[in-house]
Amino acid sequence: MSDVTADSSKTPAGATDAAMVADLTAAQEAAADVPPELVAQSLGQYLRASWTRVRSGNSGVLPVVLAIVVVAVSFQIANSKFLSAQNLVNLFEQSTIYMLLAIAEIFVLLLGEIDLSVGLVMALGSVVVAELVQPGRNWPWWAAIIVTLLACAAVGAIQGTLVARLRMPSFIVTLGGLLILEGVAIIVLGGSLVGIGNSQYKNELVLYNIFWGSFSPLVSWILLVVVVGAAGTGLWLRDARKRRHGLETPPRSLTALKIVFMAVAGIALVAICNVNRAHVGTIEGVPYIIAIVLVVYGASTVLLQRTRFGRYVYAIGGNPEAARRAGVILPSIRTWCFVISAVISGIAGVLFASWQVSLTTNIIKAANSYVLLAVAAAVIGGTSLFGGRGKTIHGVLGGLVIGGIYNGLYLLGVSSQWIDVVVAAVLLAAAAIDVLSRRGAPDQT
Amino acid sequence: MGPDGEVPMTTVPGETAAVVPDTTAAADLTAAPEAAAEVRELTAQSLVQYLRAWWLKVRSGDSGVLPVLLAMVVVAVTFQIITPEHSFLRPSNLVYIFGLSTVYIVLAIAETVVLLLAEIDLSVGAVALIGGVIAFKLAQNWPWWAAILAALVACGVFGALMGTLTARLKIPSFIVTLAGFLLFSGILIVVLGGADGSVNLNSSQFNQAVIYDLVQGTITPVASWILLAVVVGAFGTALWLRTARRRRQGLVAPPKSVVAIRIALMAIVGVAVVAICNVNRGTSLKTVQGVPWVIPIVLVVAGVWTLVLGRTRFGRYLYAIGGNPEAARRAGVSLAGIRTWAFALCSATAGLGGILLGSFFFGEYSTNTADPGQLVLYTVAAAVIGGVSLFGGRGKAIHGVLGGLLIGGIAYGVSLLNLGSLSTPLQYILPGAVLLAAVLIDVLSRRGAGSVTRV
Repeated sequence: MSDVTADSSKTPAGATDAAMVADLTAAQEAAADVPPELVAQSLGQYLRASWTRVRSGNSGVLPVVLAIVVVAVSFQIANSKFLSAQNLVNLFEQSTIYMLLAIAEIFVLLLGEIDLSVGLVMALGSVVVAELVQPGRNWPWWAAIIVTLLACAAVGAIQGTLVARLRMPSFIVTLGGLLILEGVAIIVLGGSLVGIGNSQYKNELVLYNIFWGSFSPLVSWILLVVVVGAAGTGLWLRDARKRRHGLETPPRSLTALKIVFMAVAGIALVAICNVNRAHVGTIEGVPYIIAIVLVVYGASTVLLQRTRFGRYVYAIGGNPEAARRAGVILPSIRTWCFVISAVISGIAGVLFASWQVSLTTNIIKAANSYVLLAVAAAVIGGTSLFGGRGKTIHGVLGGLVIGGIYNGLYLLGVSSQWIDVVVAAVLLAAAAIDVLSRRGAPDQT
Repeated sequence: MGPDGEVPMTTVPGETAAVVPDTTAAADLTAAPEAAAEVRELTAQSLVQYLRAWWLKVRSGDSGVLPVLLAMVVVAVTFQIITPEHSFLRPSNLVYIFGLSTVYIVLAIAETVVLLLAEIDLSVGAVALIGGVIAFKLAQNWPWWAAILAALVACGVFGALMGTLTARLKIPSFIVTLAGFLLFSGILIVVLGGADGSVNLNSSQFNQAVIYDLVQGTITPVASWILLAVVVGAFGTALWLRTARRRRQGLVAPPKSVVAIRIALMAIVGVAVVAICNVNRGTSLKTVQGVPWVIPIVLVVAGVWTLVLGRTRFGRYLYAIGGNPEAARRAGVSLAGIRTWAFALCSATAGLGGILLGSFFFGEYSTNTADPGQLVLYTVAAAVIGGVSLFGGRGKAIHGVLGGLLIGGIAYGVSLLNLGSLSTPLQYILPGAVLLAAVLIDVLSRRGAGSVTRV
């Protein structure tokens, strides 16, 4: 505390008025706009500030976390297998595609644009990677994946250029892109089916294992320790450095709580995954795809929250004209967002190929419906359709809700048409909660 | 048609502003370059002025139906040249293309109503299919008109629900109709009775046969000619008398020559359509000739929507809200009411499209009849290719008709080409490419005009 006051010239919060420093969160109007971790000086203040923020309509991830709880509790009551270790791993695996596509979509939604083609970019990626590792071509698996992601990036660059340089509406560009990609994917498929299920070929096997393979239980634990240790130390050291420099820092208790929370969640995840989930034989350990999704999530979070690029994305989404006048080069940032979105969709495509094992024309056509679920996941998670508001965690949580609904209803033996009905209801509820909570806010209409 | 009941027919845009007693000004109002392109066309006093005003309008980026007409010519000529035996423009194929395009045409007109508000309806495909299934199910026991009416009312209620959520709760229409799409796709399968359920029309029973014949049935050649004469005669007379009355009352009216050309054009198109339809397109065993019912039905749908959009208070409010919702609100337009009605009428029109789709597929509805997601994408593509703006305030029923025909023509043309495995992909790639080209031309023409561009 003494550091802060000594450095009063550096930051606005280092006010000499001790009473003001004592509780910056007391002012209602300020608390609603400023992130609570910036002004809170203690855990109690932090919690109070967070609550004020929720009350003012800025509810963040709270609705989607509540939705996850509701989904989990109701399905568990309906079928006691829902929260079993086997089913939870299954649920995570099924949700990964939605999570990745939602994260991809968020990059574009943040700009206030939309990408209707993520489902078909995924389909194209899955077909390309599967074709490249076929015995006839026999590309090494890593080369096949790199070329696939490059191909998807090229698609994103073309669509992004049309949107960003020619200012064609993104809705139309990606709608046209979707139709064209559907045709291209069918051409690449070559009219028949392509499979990666043959374990005689090493490259097909590696691709297959991306979705269906797991780390051994021991490696899972070691990985957890390394990841939580590294992330926790990084977080703690960063806060300590900021505090030393007299910058705004969340209270120590909050940082500690975050690290503990991360560790508990990680331990729970690994413990669940390490239960043997096979009916016959042994399948245990953390599936590779969970690690892959975490890496994509982590990388996109860093990109959006900690880099200049990310700040520009939010700036454009908030007010493009203001961003332009501040010197942001709109076309290149916009184009890059479409490229990143397409690359993440391409990663989803590799997982999709691995998941489906064999791809047919019908599967490609069905990939169309994934874009709507991706948008639904992002919006359920709390991302705005109008740009400037959203985080990658929204995609992960929204994807989990949709995956949970699909999994739970499937477990109950409900036919697929009802699953769509429930997803629709959840989507509407999420949007309605968002709208109504904003309406309750005193300062907005 | 409008929610406010009686609507005065004389309130046409430009009427009051253009009553100009000054003869020199009246001589050539189109000369002033800064006058809005819209106004120039209204104030033209001769055919030459009218054409010049029209050309200026095209140049200024408001190209209307011109791009889609050009695209149709290009598509028709290309397919005629490259199809085996140059069969694309055969009468039998042309009639088939119209049947195939019907669902896109009707859905695109429906979508236009919502697009005019700068909203979007992603549920039209699913709602259309539900409408079709409801009508087919009810027609098993009910009179045909009651079945159709009930289906349209049901679809209208679905639309009103979505419209209410959008208009009153202010949930974005993209989200509401996305949820509607999921919801109605699910309900569709439930109504059909499961994933392998289906409903068929028995064409030996009168009420089912009527719905079956909506697309499949034809009017006899003689009746077709009589109908054409009646329709063109009635429309031509009405148009002529209306402009004559306006001229008599000193209101702005298009030059006589323009009206005459319009009527002649209508007659020529009509004669061509009837002549094509009256060629025997059956086999050597069975003669099939005459205008299919679906053509007058689509004409009525397009005509009714043209009247509603162009000549009623409701239509003007749609354009007003699409152009500037805040201005419309301050002018006293009930935004929520108009928006809700627009969604309801859009869905009801879509329901009719679904009934026609089932009739086109020989009166059978199953879960494989059409994919609701694919249908809505093609629908939005058809509307935009036709010339409807996604940003509200710009669009007409005719745009839906032309855009739908173009999509159907491309789909059928590709299937004629015997491309083997390339045939399916091209049916996706070509509409996508046409859509991108249409919007690209639109964007570039606007840029050339030096008008406002978005940041």
